[in-house]
Amino acid sequence: MRRYARLFAVQVRASALLAMQYRVDFVIDGMLSAFSAGVALIPLFVVFTHRTSIEGWTFGEALVVTGWFTLLQGVLEGAINPSLTTVVDHIRKGTLDFVLLKPADAQFMVSTARFLPWRAMSIVTALGIFVLAFVRLGRLPSLTGVLLSLAMLVAAIALLYSLWILTVSAAFYVVKIDNLTFLFGSIFDFARWPSSLFRGVVGFVFTFILPLALMTTYPAEALLGRLRLSTFLGSLVAAVGFVTFARLVWKSSIRRYTSASS
Amino acid sequence: MITVRDLAKHYRVHERAPGMANALRSLFHRKYKTVRAVDGVSFEIGAGERVGFLGPNGAGKTTTLKVLSGLLHPTGGEVRVDGHIPQTRERAFLEKITLVMGQKQQLIWDLPPAETFELNRAIYGVSPADFRETISELTTLLELEELVKKPTRELSLGERMKCELAAALVHRPRVLFLDEPTIGLDVSMQVVIRDFIKRYNERWNATLILTSHYMDDVAALCPRVIVIDKGKLSFDGSLTDLVQRIRPEKRVVLRFDRAVSASEVEMFGKVVERTELSATLQVAQDAVREAVSGALARLPVADLTVESPPLEEVMSELFARSRSEREASA
Repeated sequence: MRRYARLFAVQVRASALLAMQYRVDFVIDGMLSAFSAGVALIPLFVVFTHRTSIEGWTFGEALVVTGWFTLLQGVLEGAINPSLTTVVDHIRKGTLDFVLLKPADAQFMVSTARFLPWRAMSIVTALGIFVLAFVRLGRLPSLTGVLLSLAMLVAAIALLYSLWILTVSAAFYVVKIDNLTFLFGSIFDFARWPSSLFRGVVGFVFTFILPLALMTTYPAEALLGRLRLSTFLGSLVAAVGFVTFARLVWKSSIRRYTSASS
Repeated sequence: MITVRDLAKHYRVHERAPGMANALRSLFHRKYKTVRAVDGVSFEIGAGERVGFLGPNGAGKTTTLKVLSGLLHPTGGEVRVDGHIPQTRERAFLEKITLVMGQKQQLIWDLPPAETFELNRAIYGVSPADFRETISELTTLLELEELVKKPTRELSLGERMKCELAAALVHRPRVLFLDEPTIGLDVSMQVVIRDFIKRYNERWNATLILTSHYMDDVAALCPRVIVIDKGKLSFDGSLTDLVQRIRPEKRVVLRFDRAVSASEVEMFGKVVERTELSATLQVAQDAVREAVSGALARLPVADLTVESPPLEEVMSELFARSRSEREASA
């Protein structure tokens, strides 16, 4: 465990060094992430200029969902995406060999290979959105709400990461997964809306198969103090299940890689 | 140190004829064929040995190295490296070995090589004291001083290869798999890399398997060679024995003071190359003494050397022979 903590530190250090090699990128990255967070709010303003609530969500409440969306998008783009796109590169160039030759877990090594620290700006933006939301609502979140929502944040990140690992595992089979990652990005975009907006088949898919609800709506409900205990526990179980499943798929993909490539 | 018994690695590849119609057909009915990249190879290598893997492109050299380093699962046979089964990729095994590939690099492209060294130090859990010692040794031997601080992308191919080697040796591996480590390098850089590899082997009694297209690498580094062709082992022994078996003849190279005609030269051996002022003769080993004394007595010889035929020629002869043997048996 301590060994992996040290490895993690070394990997983060390398990412920080890389980020500093390109100072201009640093600044542009920061500006872009603030900009995209701002843009994320526009659809919400458009919808709520004509009505005061949609599907039982007031403007303030919907803002909380957007806050979570912004936060998770920051995590996705800053910590999950960059590492896992490097894996795809490794697979294509055959340099994954070097990762597999190392006496350290390959999934850990590739998952921590690259961070874009400037994307952490999204976290600041998200906090700003939360403040704005609770000002609109005219109250403060309860302590239990905050704690529950933090637990949900961990579950949401675990889930997002697992979905990414599953997408990347596909790269072992199809090699060119640019389209797949693009698809992933556009589906994730739906998470900016409260999940009760989606009905029927789509609603079912977003709740149980690609649990977008778990990523943004449930943490928002937790923060608003209205998440049911059963949903909370169910989410934790789902997160653990997804992490385990992703791990198994990754392992079998690696086996396939090592037994097939030349 | 290394034991390989009946190693086989087969691939199932999907095969189709060219053209649109065939491409469409192959969407529904796929035809597969089995490629036998390695097919029943056995050998043993002792600790501290330096062994050259030779063979034409696609002979199965890289596949064998990848099986030995645990990257590929063998289809059949048994492989042991210092008691470990490579494909289980135990930590203890991975800490003992290294694989250097001339065609692929592990150095982080945008950062100086020193950062990759540091990363590998953490991965292999090398103590800071050992790390400092290893790095200072590598820095001296490979003359890395100036290089390790520049971003990798600013280094030349040869400089990068030196740093690649250093990165691969941070954990002082006892088994080195080197897949074309000198590819694309100029002659002087090839010599530097070669000398370094030899010194490492002697200093740490490391076992070494090398594949290379440059016969000079193999001649300079490997007292023993294993020749693989079409996935099968066609020779295992010393380099001298290999040359003996394939081309037992020697080359007598003559340089003359004045012009000499073809007929005057022919009587001493088979003419391989000739100008008026020089000639290269191929002579059976037991006839060398006679040919040399005869030439010295009867020709205006200014300079004379006796050489073995070039290794490249020996190899292409070997491959041509095994090909015709295969065709004959088929």
